[in-house]
Amino acid sequence: MRDHGKFFDFLEVIKRAESGEILKEADFDKKLGKKALALMKQYEIRYHPESVIPLDDGLADRVYQAAVDLFLDLGVYCTDTQRVMRFTKEELQWALENVPRDVQYGREEETVSVYPRKVEDPRDPICFFSAVGTPVTEEMFLPVARSYAQEPLADTFSGPLITSYKGIPVTSGSPIEVEAAIWNTQMLREAARQSGRPHIGIHNFQSTGEKTDATIASAQEGFGAFPGDGLFVAAIAEMKVDFERLKKVAFLRQSPYVLGALYGPLMGGYAGGPEGTAIALVAHHFLGLLGFSAERHNSFPIHIHHVCNTVREMLWLISIVGQALARNTHLIIVSNAFMASGPCTDMVIDELCAHSLTSTISGWHLNPSAVVKNRYPMRCSGMEPRIHAEVGHQVTKMGFTRREANQIVLKLIEGYEKRIPEAPIGKMFHECYQMDKIRPTDEYESLFAKKKKEWRELGFEVS
Amino acid sequence: MDLFKEMAKAVIEGDEEQTVSLAKEALAKGVDPTEAIEKGFAEGMKEIGRLFETLEIFLPQVIISAEAMTAGVEIFRHYLLGKEGDIPKKTVLLGTIQGDVHDIGKNIVKIMLESNGFKVYDLGRDVPVSNFIEKVKELNPDLIGVSALMTTTMVHMPKLMEALQESGLRTKVKIMLGGAPVLPEWAKKIGADGYGESAMEAVRVAKRLVGLQGEGKGDKA
Repeated sequence: MRDHGKFFDFLEVIKRAESGEILKEADFDKKLGKKALALMKQYEIRYHPESVIPLDDGLADRVYQAAVDLFLDLGVYCTDTQRVMRFTKEELQWALENVPRDVQYGREEETVSVYPRKVEDPRDPICFFSAVGTPVTEEMFLPVARSYAQEPLADTFSGPLITSYKGIPVTSGSPIEVEAAIWNTQMLREAARQSGRPHIGIHNFQSTGEKTDATIASAQEGFGAFPGDGLFVAAIAEMKVDFERLKKVAFLRQSPYVLGALYGPLMGGYAGGPEGTAIALVAHHFLGLLGFSAERHNSFPIHIHHVCNTVREMLWLISIVGQALARNTHLIIVSNAFMASGPCTDMVIDELCAHSLTSTISGWHLNPSAVVKNRYPMRCSGMEPRIHAEVGHQVTKMGFTRREANQIVLKLIEGYEKRIPEAPIGKMFHECYQMDKIRPTDEYESLFAKKKKEWRELGFEVS
Repeated sequence: MDLFKEMAKAVIEGDEEQTVSLAKEALAKGVDPTEAIEKGFAEGMKEIGRLFETLEIFLPQVIISAEAMTAGVEIFRHYLLGKEGDIPKKTVLLGTIQGDVHDIGKNIVKIMLESNGFKVYDLGRDVPVSNFIEKVKELNPDLIGVSALMTTTMVHMPKLMEALQESGLRTKVKIMLGGAPVLPEWAKKIGADGYGESAMEAVRVAKRLVGLQGEGKGDKA
């Protein structure tokens, strides 16, 4: 049994969801934007397009303080009760001081310890290889999942999802969702076995089932979900939770699984621009800590129009949020890569490189990767996280500073940012992998090799 | 006319006091309300839409401008109601499909549609197919906008299309789809009339579908 109780009493969360101030949801949304804007001005937080990886420690600390103010003032909205849960500064401080400094995934020879990273940390990032729930056919689920599990730099892995099971569409809330969810867990463990890594941690063993009952049904050792695997609970929108998510928390807190939280605020949405969204994203970590008892925190901020996080302002946001949290907390933070372009394109390789460089130097662990906006079926493979992870490992090996990393990232962005609105969707899994060997095609390998040569010209040598 | 320019400026600046004041001034000068809205407030909102599309401004500013415009339009509405008239509006029934609680995209589309002169009936999140049918019968909208964020909920969209056919309502209303896993090809396959990839695209498609000006790349999904 894991001890999830020490950050905050979950029964208190439930009580506050039932007894907090009643507020219209639209008023809560407006208050977020207004408050974020006011804090941005008060703390003099400014996005600078030429400083994608900011060097200013003071700026990172101000973003952190603004987020504390936002969280304490705004609270967390529960959509089921239309009430605001508020927390005190002392409660937040207590939780921050008592978070675990070490979370373990996997078993036996595959045990991985995840630790809080620091800015310009010389230690390698932990790499959580993930297909981020890309839709695939039932027949392709296993080979796609294997392409992630088998990668040497994969510290853990997770899989795609299926939209139909035995010919029946997987529908939310129906019995078929439970059937498909159990199958999903079984197939992921099978992918681990077939990759010769039976004990590797599956950091999110459920992508197909979304409802809490389906998720819990699939959480059995007999299906392949072991202690040292994990699941995620997501904030449903900016600073919002609902009972469906809190039910997952109630289960996970008393389960042997690692409880991860997921936050995906829209840049340009209710929190405003990059500055306001950066403040809100840091505040989401407090939501996850106190509301979900999360042991790890995954962020996938998304550009409201481009639906990716590799454009200039998104990389700034990722960097400053990582630095703010790494400098001021011991939270285990993980950066989810969302690419605009698709597999087996030169553009996706550059996007992956820029995202990984930015995240690694700024204190994040890595969770690659959603590609082609995470919306095109069959377009994902283990090659994208391989690229992302190789870059992350190389950043620590070369001992980059933020200044050096910023120069390289700026050059990478210049190469692809104009193409973002019409980014190529790339190839499907079976078009960029040799299906008999579950290996990338020569074309994809050559493309990566070509990019490595180009990066060398920029002063970044990935072996 | 300078008054129209001032009305547009007041909307862009999100100045509610000013939009109300200018609407009253327009009425006092005998300006036709519909013309004042179209050439004044709506022009301001069009610029807000452009600025949001290029992210020179963000959603909070759009909301403030939309509220300022609504306050001004209300002045005209009160005037017309007193004369047994009203400002005609195209109507949209909006909702996130059954099983799906992710409604931020739908909410942004709602703001943009209202800002562009539509009357929006928002059914909220996790809306059962049967509720859509009941509301179409009750409200007789020009358009239904449906969103989904998950593959496990978008499968309810074809069920909505079937239910509309079975109840004889399909020919009476246009359907526009949106949401992360929804692709234009899929929207076309299940027989939707339009597809909006973004909030601004949704406005363009909605206008086209109800016979107003505007066309989007996904409107023939």
